[in-house]
Amino acid sequence: MEKRVVFSGRWVPVLLLAPQVTITLVFFIWPASQALYQSVLLEDAFGLSRKFVWLDNFRILFADPLYLDSFGRTAFFSSVTAALSLGLALVLAVMADRVIKGTALYRTFLIWPYAVAPAVAGVLWFFMFNPSIGTLTYLLRFLGYQWNHYLNGTDAMALIILAASWKQVSYNFLFFLAGLQAIPRSLVEAAAIDGAGPFKRFRTIIFPLLSPTTFFLLVVNIVYAFFDTFGIVHAITSGGPAQATTILVYKVYSDGFIGLDLGGSAAQSVILMAVVIALTVFQFRYIERKVAY
Amino acid sequence: MAGLTFSGVRKTYPNGVRAVHGIDASVGDGELIVIVGPSGCGKSTLLRMVAGLEAISEGEIRIGERRVNELEPADRNIAMVFQNYALYPHMSVFDNMAYGLRNRRTPRNEIARRVAAAAKTLQLEDLLARRPGQLSGGQRQRVAMGRAIVREPDVFLFDEPLSNLDARLRVQMRLEIRRLQQSLGTTSLYVTHDQVEAMTLADRLIVMNGGVAEQIGRPLDVYRHPATAFVAGFIGSPAMNFLPATVAATGSGVIISGTGHTLTAAVTACEPQRPVLVGLRPEHLLPASEDSAALKVAVDLVEALGADTLAHGILPGDGAGPALTVRLEGSRRVDVGDTVPLTVSPDHVHLFDPGNGNRLV
Amino acid sequence: MIERRPWLNVLSHFVLCAGVLVTALPIWITFVASTHPADSLMSGRAPLWPGAHLFENYATVLDSGLRAAGSVPVGMMMWNSLIMALMIAVGKIVISIIAAFGIVYFRFPLRRTCFWLIFVTLMLPVEVRILPTFGVVASLEMLNSYWGLSVPLIASATATFLFRQFFLTVPEELAEAARIDGAGPLKFLFDILLPLSRTNIAALFVILFIFGWNQYLWPLLVTTDESFYTIVVGIQRMLAVDDAEPAWHLIMATTMLAMLPPVLVVICMQRLFIKGLIEQEK
Repeated sequence: MEKRVVFSGRWVPVLLLAPQVTITLVFFIWPASQALYQSVLLEDAFGLSRKFVWLDNFRILFADPLYLDSFGRTAFFSSVTAALSLGLALVLAVMADRVIKGTALYRTFLIWPYAVAPAVAGVLWFFMFNPSIGTLTYLLRFLGYQWNHYLNGTDAMALIILAASWKQVSYNFLFFLAGLQAIPRSLVEAAAIDGAGPFKRFRTIIFPLLSPTTFFLLVVNIVYAFFDTFGIVHAITSGGPAQATTILVYKVYSDGFIGLDLGGSAAQSVILMAVVIALTVFQFRYIERKVAY
Repeated sequence: MAGLTFSGVRKTYPNGVRAVHGIDASVGDGELIVIVGPSGCGKSTLLRMVAGLEAISEGEIRIGERRVNELEPADRNIAMVFQNYALYPHMSVFDNMAYGLRNRRTPRNEIARRVAAAAKTLQLEDLLARRPGQLSGGQRQRVAMGRAIVREPDVFLFDEPLSNLDARLRVQMRLEIRRLQQSLGTTSLYVTHDQVEAMTLADRLIVMNGGVAEQIGRPLDVYRHPATAFVAGFIGSPAMNFLPATVAATGSGVIISGTGHTLTAAVTACEPQRPVLVGLRPEHLLPASEDSAALKVAVDLVEALGADTLAHGILPGDGAGPALTVRLEGSRRVDVGDTVPLTVSPDHVHLFDPGNGNRLV
Repeated sequence: MIERRPWLNVLSHFVLCAGVLVTALPIWITFVASTHPADSLMSGRAPLWPGAHLFENYATVLDSGLRAAGSVPVGMMMWNSLIMALMIAVGKIVISIIAAFGIVYFRFPLRRTCFWLIFVTLMLPVEVRILPTFGVVASLEMLNSYWGLSVPLIASATATFLFRQFFLTVPEELAEAARIDGAGPLKFLFDILLPLSRTNIAALFVILFIFGWNQYLWPLLVTTDESFYTIVVGIQRMLAVDDAEPAWHLIMATTMLAMLPPVLVVICMQRLFIKGLIEQEK
């Protein structure tokens, strides 16, 4: 889509775009190309020597069981978090759309975790599951389970999944609710006249019509679990115990800033960029198709 | 005040599409010219070239003595009323009218005077503080007019200004626009696809089709002597009937193809046996007695409108025969299945070239 | 709903109430913890009912902070967070509006290139390029400054696209009428386009304020000087005490304070917030 009428002028548009383009070049394009460049160099931590090593950094990375483990853990973490937060949000949204009274009130009480920083969300759950004084730890102990995410990798993973999902439900809920409210009532009524009960209507009419929203949310949730959850991991588990919660973004950070492995960290950055670009392209392909039809 | 001249005006879009193929016309001072044609005929493009919203590819447009091709819209001293009114939604009625004057640094008291005068003329005095969103369709239309009036321009440009209104309001606003234009005496260019609007408003019409001005003339002249089959079919409602025919060997009339009907017509300029397209307006077909009838139509659909009755039917002949619409007195009773004998005055038989559509004789 | 199924209604309300409770549980526990003295959180289990030290704990953190976080008063951290959030929100909105205006209402060489350049930033979250970005900011000597905290996060493809979409829906005739009325591009921007964009700007501001306030990784890297800590980073510093149980009652008070401004913004400006969020999908 393009405007039919435009203003003339050569310098005005340049000035208008200058700030955005400058910041993009300095803080986005330049660092990204630096990452690309460093990913093919071997450099010591003090920058005294550098050597061009082609794709060695990548080869080392993919030969490193720690990195491959981290890949697997990230995949597990992302899919469980996405499934959990999408599922819960869908159930809540369908219920909130159903009730005649109180939709707005329920919405108010369900959406506010969106405003909580991931790191803060991590702290909230960290405290509830604190091995010595946590309320829920106490409850679990009462039920016969000794919770300790300091020592038990599974517990730690469960903790970051809970914290990440808790925060994301609100976002998904809002989109599902908006999607449900956008479905024309007449369609649902027509289905009811055609003899479909509430569950059948959901399965055959509402859920298919909601699929663009679901797809959009799926991509957003994966991106969220990949990147925005850094705060949760850093604040409550620092990747531990024994790397059990070292997801990819955390590893980029810890290898680069703590391990000072510049080439390795840059190579990981490049791989992550490829993941984001793939997800974005995938999403836009889909949106274009949706628009076309 | 000033007239408006088009000489050899053409529009070619960057993608190669040619919208206007060379218009030559002049609009007298104070005249209201209506540009009428089907959608896509280039009429809006022509108007927008006058406004300065589209570049002129070739030719020249003058307002008064001034060549305006290179001028910015604001410097052409024109005012435009848009189809969707294009009122600034966040400004009051007063501010909408005053905006252009403020941009031209008109003194504050002069702005107040002009807006007050326009508001009085258009009965908008009580609405000056409202926003466009709080107005009815007709009121918004008036504000759009007011915005044009306060600028006291050389030329008014109207781009289908009535097409967003309902039928009743459209008739009322049509009269108001005409009255206003006559009292202000401002040269006006008015674009519409509605031929009734065109006939009732215009001092002169420009009938456009496919980027070409098919005919320029006074409404009744265009109605009586359409220059082409397209103009003949476009102007007049219900539309003119077209029947393929050949000039009779006797040189006294035409024979409607496939039916054997013969019509008396002025065909002296045509060679015998020549194929022609006969145009008959529904209102010119008059009921006749059985033996004086030139045409007999078999009615298959009747629309009774009260004042008159439209009878649709075919001329029987070999095969289906050509379709024909007749306008009859409302008091006359016609039923489906009737055969109505008709006659038509030779003056009302229009002949066109079947190839290029041009009027013959 | 269409047919009467009373038990389905009851079930719906039950599920929703359960959802609300689970959502609120962590906050309740945090709030309770922030109202108790230090010793009641030392062992056993955290209390379930508020204590009597509400004002005392909050006054302590706001005033003098915790030694673990460099004894910076939390009040100051909140101030830093506020400055950073406002700079990011306002900065993003301003540069996005003018960039979108340039792209939509002008034709110039390299227009498509600029468009794609901005588009690419959509694909590069700060998390994936932290090290080199940190390098750039360090070499520009922007570490430990409000500029360093905010400017690198200001370029935003999302906001630019939102405004572009919105400008494309503004009727063409409005720009034409403005041109005939003698308004140049900047006059059109300020007199017509910005007033029309008011709700969009407000909605985006809500979203971006929350985005800015909640930044974590970036402030963590660029602030080594405690006086530039934002509150979210401050909490992490308070937690990271070696070999000792953290001062939970004060940390929980700080946590409540860290959540308060963005949560209030979401609840008080719910309509704008939802509008701002949902429009990102389109």
